[in-house]
Amino acid sequence: MTAADALYVYGVVRSDTPADVFAGVEGMDDGPVRLVGADGVAAIASSVPLAEFDTDALELNLKDGAWLEQKVQAHNRVLAAAVRKATVLPLRFGAIYHGEDHVRTMLGERPELEAQLARLDGLLEFGVKGLLDPEALRTRLEESRGVEADEGSGRAYMLRKGLARELDEEVRAFAATCAEASHERLAAVAVDARVNRAQSPEMLLNGAYLVEAGCDDELRRAVEELDKQFRSDGVAYELTGPWPPYNFAGEESEG
Amino acid sequence: MSSPSPALQQQVTLVELVDRVLNKGVALTGDITLSVAGVDLVYVGLRVLLASVSTLEQLDAE
Repeated sequence: MTAADALYVYGVVRSDTPADVFAGVEGMDDGPVRLVGADGVAAIASSVPLAEFDTDALELNLKDGAWLEQKVQAHNRVLAAAVRKATVLPLRFGAIYHGEDHVRTMLGERPELEAQLARLDGLLEFGVKGLLDPEALRTRLEESRGVEADEGSGRAYMLRKGLARELDEEVRAFAATCAEASHERLAAVAVDARVNRAQSPEMLLNGAYLVEAGCDDELRRAVEELDKQFRSDGVAYELTGPWPPYNFAGEESEG
Repeated sequence: MSSPSPALQQQVTLVELVDRVLNKGVALTGDITLSVAGVDLVYVGLRVLLASVSTLEQLDAE
């Protein structure tokens, strides 16, 4: 590390974490990842050029989608290397320090990091999304009613219009009920759970689940059960992970 | 439901990744920090990155 470098910090581990957990993992700008230890905890860090990361350069680079994607991928790649090997406390993107002394000072001023790490010990984060195909559900609802009126008559038109409104309402009600039931079922096998904002109108559930490392099969089974239960209603589930526990690293009630 | 195209699927995965890395995790104040303005800039970058994902406006409301 030279005066032209800064230290990018990805996350925090216990200071007794074997350094080989991150051996061979390429950090930002392909730099080697190292642990900067203090009392009890260590920062996962790598050198990055100030030319890219000082305040002015950063402001410019953040507007560059390709640059940002590369850095976000690197941030996750480093933390993901520890999944199932060591407990990591993920930091949010962009914690940058002028050298190891500054990193150690920061760690020393943050005794709560050790407790936050302990809380995540032996736990894995998974993401589950539930996606509703509203047309498939409408078709099923229409069929189950078996309503058919004479084409063309004014009365039939009014019936169809009323029916369409009722179906819209039923689809909305179903989405809410299904989301709640799904989350409840998944949260039952998790130590902690979060519901995040949907990323699209079809997404009825965007949940994050913190499960014990031995219980990820239980979560997988729960997702399969939900899939079987709600598939005919037009719902598909997507399981991602294990992730570093991003959703459970912050303060309680965040997210 | 019909399977999304691989390109769309890749973008959805990227949205999930970006959301975790930028919005979650412990926020520490480094020597060089993303100022409030900086965080807004991230969304400028994101918009370029995910220009074809129609749901992006939901991200910057977070």
